[in-house]
Formats: sequence, C-alpha cells, structure tokens
Amino acid sequence: MNLLEVNNICKTYGSGETAVHALKKVSFSVPKGEYVAIVGESGSGKSTLLNMIGALDTPTSGEVKIGGMDIFTMDDRKLTVFRRRNIGFIFQAFNLIPELTVEQNIIFPVLLDYQRPDKKYLEELLTVLNLNERRNHLPSQLSGGQQQRVAIGRALITRPSLILADEPTGNLDTQNSREVIALLKETSKKYEQTIIMITHNRSIAQTADRVLQVSDGVVADLGRCRE
Amino acid sequence: MKSYLSLIPISAKVHKRQNRMTILCIIFAVFLVTAIFSMAEMGIRMEQTRLVNKHDDLTLQDIISSTTGQTLCIIAIVFFVLVLIAGVLMISSSINSNVTQRTKFFGMMRCIGMSKQQIIHFVKLEALNWCKAAIPIGVTLGIIITWGLCAVLRFLVGEEFSDIPLFGISIAGIISGIIVGIITVLIAARTPAKRAAKVSPVTAASGNSEITGNINHAAKVNLFKVETALGIHHAVASKKTLILMTGSFALSIILFLSFSVLVEFVGYIMPQSAAAADINISSVDVSNGVDSALVDTIGTMDGVKRIFGRRSVFNIPAQLNSNAIEIDMISYEDFDLNCLVKDDMLKKGSDISKVYGNSHYVLATWDKGSTLEIGDKIIVADEEFEIAGLLKYDPFNSDGLTNGEITLITSGDTFIHTTGITDYSLIMIQTTSDVTDEDVTAIREILDHDCTLNDLRDQRTSGTYIAFVFCIYAFLAIIALVTVLNIVNSISMSVSSKIKSYGAMRAVGMNEHQITKMIVAEAFTYAVLGGIVGSMVGLIVYRLLYSILIGNHFSYAIWSLPTIPLLIILLFVCMAAVIAAYLPSKRIHNMAITETINEL
Repeated sequence: MNLLEVNNICKTYGSGETAVHALKKVSFSVPKGEYVAIVGESGSGKSTLLNMIGALDTPTSGEVKIGGMDIFTMDDRKLTVFRRRNIGFIFQAFNLIPELTVEQNIIFPVLLDYQRPDKKYLEELLTVLNLNERRNHLPSQLSGGQQQRVAIGRALITRPSLILADEPTGNLDTQNSREVIALLKETSKKYEQTIIMITHNRSIAQTADRVLQVSDGVVADLGRCRE
Repeated sequence: MKSYLSLIPISAKVHKRQNRMTILCIIFAVFLVTAIFSMAEMGIRMEQTRLVNKHDDLTLQDIISSTTGQTLCIIAIVFFVLVLIAGVLMISSSINSNVTQRTKFFGMMRCIGMSKQQIIHFVKLEALNWCKAAIPIGVTLGIIITWGLCAVLRFLVGEEFSDIPLFGISIAGIISGIIVGIITVLIAARTPAKRAAKVSPVTAASGNSEITGNINHAAKVNLFKVETALGIHHAVASKKTLILMTGSFALSIILFLSFSVLVEFVGYIMPQSAAAADINISSVDVSNGVDSALVDTIGTMDGVKRIFGRRSVFNIPAQLNSNAIEIDMISYEDFDLNCLVKDDMLKKGSDISKVYGNSHYVLATWDKGSTLEIGDKIIVADEEFEIAGLLKYDPFNSDGLTNGEITLITSGDTFIHTTGITDYSLIMIQTTSDVTDEDVTAIREILDHDCTLNDLRDQRTSGTYIAFVFCIYAFLAIIALVTVLNIVNSISMSVSSKIKSYGAMRAVGMNEHQITKMIVAEAFTYAVLGGIVGSMVGLIVYRLLYSILIGNHFSYAIWSLPTIPLLIILLFVCMAAVIAAYLPSKRIHNMAITETINEL
C-alpha cells in the first residue's frame, strides 16, 4: 500500500515572462516503510518538492496524498495539526529550539498537542539515540552530531508515518554522517516509518531503497539501489 | 547606479511596509513640534491682540518679554525638549527594529565588501531619506491640528481665548518642525547604524542574529504550556533586554502618575466650583440684609443664567455631646447643595439627600483636626440636628482649615425654620456667555445703597484651567503614545531576531495561535514586571510630588491612592502589550514557513 502519492504537482514562482517552473507535473508514489533518497543539482527543485510533501508550501496545481488523505484540501489549522502528528522533519541546520533542553526539544511536538509524552517511548528513544546522559543539556552545549540526533528524536516522538529529511548530514563530518544515517535507518525500520531524504552524498543515496533524481523540476525514478 | 548609496531609494521602495512604522514615528515627532510652536505663536498673537486693544503702542518684543509671553515660551521649550527626547527614543527603537529585520541584508553587504563606516553612512542616509516624505506630512498635520485646537479654544473655551487667531500659519512652528525632524532622525539613527555595522558577514549565511550561546537556562515547560513557557523565557533570557523593556513599561507608568499629580495640583491652585459666581451681591453690614425678593427680580434680567443665595448666622449657641459651644450656620439652596456633590466636596459616607427641604439633617465643615463625625447630634435653638455629611475641608476659610470652629450647612427651608431669617447675606449670580457690561450696570442700578455688587467676571479661571489640564493631558498622551511605539518596536525587534527559530517551530507543528500566544506571553512578561515596578516606584514618586506640590501648600489636602490614573495607565500598558504582540504575530502569519526557516 502506498503511504505517499504525489500526483501532477506543479510549482511556478512569478508569472508571465519571469515565471519560474520549479516543479513540472511531478508524479510518484512511495509505499509504507520505504526509504527514498532524492538527489539532484542545486536549484533543481529538490527542496521545493520536499516542502510540498511536508505541507510547508502549497503547489500551484496537483495533489499530495499521505495515508490516502489529500493534504491540501485541509485548512491551515488542520494542516498544522496533521503535520505535527504525521510528519517528522529533520533539517540540515538542525533547527532545535535553543531555549529547550535535549529532552524538551524531543517532546516539543507532543507538548504542542498539549499531551503528555509516552515516558517509556521517550526513554527508549533517548537510549537508541545515545542521548541519555545529555538529556538536560541545551543545544548550545552539544556537538553537531548530537544536535542532529536530537532532531531525529524530535522527528520520531509522535511516531509519524513519514519522515522528511533535507540533507540531514550536510552539516556533519563523515563519521557523524555515517552514524546519523545508520540511526535513521535503524529507527525507521524499528518503527515502520517511510523516509524521504534529500542528499548530495552519492554513497548515502546508495544506501536508500530507491533513488529519485530531480532535474529542472522533473523527477526521474532511478530505481532501487540496495538489491 | 552612481554609487552604493543609490541603493537607498531602491531599498526604500522594496521595504515600503517595513519602513512604515519609522516614517510614522518621524511624522509624529515633526507634527508635535510644529503644533507646539505654532500654538505658542498663536498664543502670543492672541496676547498681542488683547493688549494692543488696551495699549496702542505695544510691540512684539513687549509681548514676548511679558509674563504671559515668557510663560508660553518656557512651556513651548519644555515641550520641545520632551518631544525631542521622546522622538529620539521612538525613532531610534523603530530604526533598530528595522535594522534587526534586515540583519541578513547587512551581513550580505559586509560579505561583498561594504566597510563598517559605509554601513553607518548607509543607515543614516536611509533614515534621512525617510524625512523627505515624513517631514512635509508632519508639518501639514501640525498646522491643521493647530487650526483645530485654536478653533476649540476660541469657540468652546472662549473667555480669554476668544482673540486667538483661527487660521494662522507659524513660520517658527514650521521651521522648528523641520529642524526637529532632521535632528531627531540623525541622533536616533546613530545607535542602529552602529548596530548594523556590527553585523557579522557570517549572518548573511544564517540569516539569524540570535546568539544561542547566551542561553544558560532552559524554559520551564513543566510550569506552563510550552508556548507560554517559551514566551516567558524569551522575555527573561536576556537580562539587558528584560531591564530595558521592564524599564520602558515602568517609566511610562511613573511619568503618567507624576503628571497626574499636576492635574490635581492645577485643581488646587485654580479650584473650579460648579457654584462659582460671576457676580456677588452682599449687604454692607454683613447681616442678612439682601432682600430675598431680589432673587426673583434679578433672575428675569438679561445676562443672568442662574441666581441663588445664602443666609448666614455666626456664633450662635449650640450643644454638642452635652457641651455648650458656639457655631456658624449657613444656608445653601438646592443648586448650591447639588454643586457640593458635583465638585466632590463631600467625605465618603455622607448622605446629602437627607439635607434637602425642611429637615433635621445638616452638613458640617471638616478638617484633619476636627472631631466631628457623620451621625453626630447637635442641638441648635432647642432643635436636634444630625450631621448627615461632612465636607472635605472648610470652604469658608482661605486655608481650608476649620480652626476648631464648627460651621453647619443647612438647606434654605431648614435655616428659615430654625432662625426665622428669610433675607440673604449673599446673592450669587452666574451670567450667560453673552452678558454685557450694560446688563451688569442694570443689576447694579436696582440695588439699595446698603448692598454692594462685586463683578468677578474677570477672575474666571475656567479657560486657563481647561488650557492647563489640556496641556497636561497632551503630555500624558505623548507619553502613552511613545510607550506604545517603543514597546511595539522592541517586541518586533525581539521577534525578528528569532524569526528562524519561529519558522522551525511552525515547521514541526506550532500553529499560528500558539505562535501568537508565545509572543503575547513575552510581551505580557515585560508588561507585568513593568507594571509592578512602575506602580511601586510611580506611587512613591506620586506621594512625594503630592507632598511637595499639594500637601505642603494646601494643609487640608488629603492624599489618597490615585486609583483611577493607576488603572488607566495599567490598562494602557496591557493594550500596548496586546498591540505589540499582534503586529509581529501578523507578520509571521503572512510569512511562508519556508521563508522563515531560510529554506529547509
């Protein structure tokens, strides 16, 4: 069963002669639990595509269905809640909340829902992410690799079905990059989550189940890599 | 483009919306100064007209060196200095906010080779560029408002202001408005210009000026909802900002309360009574020798708006708590009694309704040394009277003190019933606004030789009182407005410095309502702390000023908590906090998430 369906997505910035077509009738689908890497040149439309899938931006035309639900038919309020509960984001620049501790950063999406975090699951995540001893530290007291692990924890805390990562290793060294990717794969497998990740790193892309290439706003399926 | 400075008008066009607040601040400062100096000049012209009517050979120099002229000049200069300070503060915080919103732009400029000095030059010229539009608008507004104020003074206040010119143009007002506009902008742009020059080229890459390394404590998410906790944390995280913002709120409260003392002070030096007479008629021998029939006769004459009389007897024997004493007794007619309520002359607990008509209830004068209480019984002419109310002071003595004497105020009917006296000791006349000297002469002519008429029309102070109170309230309005603008700009600056963080929060699921709550929590943390500090210090200053200005000179004055001014300014502070939170919330709302996080 497909978790994500992208149908004829177009995104145009500006109009008339100055119009820029960032995405041109993009269509693809991703089954549940699949790990997809998106590659492409800078400015090819990778981030625009990820923004559309994550409902951070709206397409000019076309639809995005997550779990069978057309996300752009929802109003802004519902969409925010949907994003909070169903999509986990991992950014290149980590984007942690500087005023919150490691533990608070991880449970942040749960707190936004005015719910109590599942303590057992939180402990499990802290252990898996090897952040147990750092749980009361502020982001400014962590290394880049540790900050990205916190971001992964934040993306996983609501048990989302879809995780979107935009160059999660872009700010990390090789060793940390390898660890973060291994962790992402391990957790997604454990919690049966679908991952869509933008990367410039060919070797990281090759670890994915499938690779999509974006070029001038057009998506090409490069097929499966791991077999 | 001839030089890098040609970027200024281009940038101004692009950032039209962001610049609006700064331009508004400049317009406001220019408008105020133009209006103040124009009003001062109109005042001097009015005085000139008035005096020239009396003395033909008067020059402008004579007017300016006259007491009124000098008072007007001093008031205008004090206003000018205050507006200059307020203007600098207001414009500076607005330019600061503007610079913070463009941190990335300045970082980029530094990246591509603009020196710190060039950045400073850029910001200063950019600020002067705003003056091009703001100064003409401010000056025009100042002139129009001056015309409006002159019309109000001439037609609504009247009296001594009836000679004020209506559509006068003050060159001094226009020139001072322009000068103030330029000076305030140049002074105000100094600090933000230096701030912009300090922007590191690195921020061009991140677009965020926030220094996360400064955060030492985590937000208390277990005590409040997460957005509230973050808002409070944003407010208290930086000690410097917290002190500045709390101080800003507190200062407005302190200034507001200090100026409230002045309103009371004016009330004491120019007491305004609803029963104040324009003409008094009294009997020469101070007995009740004014024929009561005169009230009906004069009441129908031209120029008379209202007429009422008082009867009085002095040093009559009475008994208070079985002690023989001597008292004075004065009769007040219904209008006179009503005015006691209107003028807020009665102490708390008084029930004046019992005093009207033929009753056994009276009012009594009072001061701090008096032992009389409401409910005390006093026997006069074998009849027992109960004190239904007490006056706050003794209006029959210039110092407001009773000096141990008891003066009872009764209704006319009670007085006649008790003493048998029907004629008046004093008849008071309030005239219509169009009363002429001939009308007064006509009244004088019907009086007997044993009556004297005192024409008090020249001693009216209501016009001056209104003008004074108006000036003080204008000050208060300026303080309040500067507060709002300052707070709005500061919150806006704080939000701008965290815009990327807000973008991340929105991306992971914070909705608009929660973002707004977070900013409201930040603004209200400053407001509550400022409110506490401001109220405490403000009340101390209020008490001190009250003692110096009022307590030391008006011994009957009793200090009480200025509840209404305090509530007004606290309400205003809350409103300022709401407006301050609303504007940046709206800005974030209108921004795409992808824009605020500098792309995912």
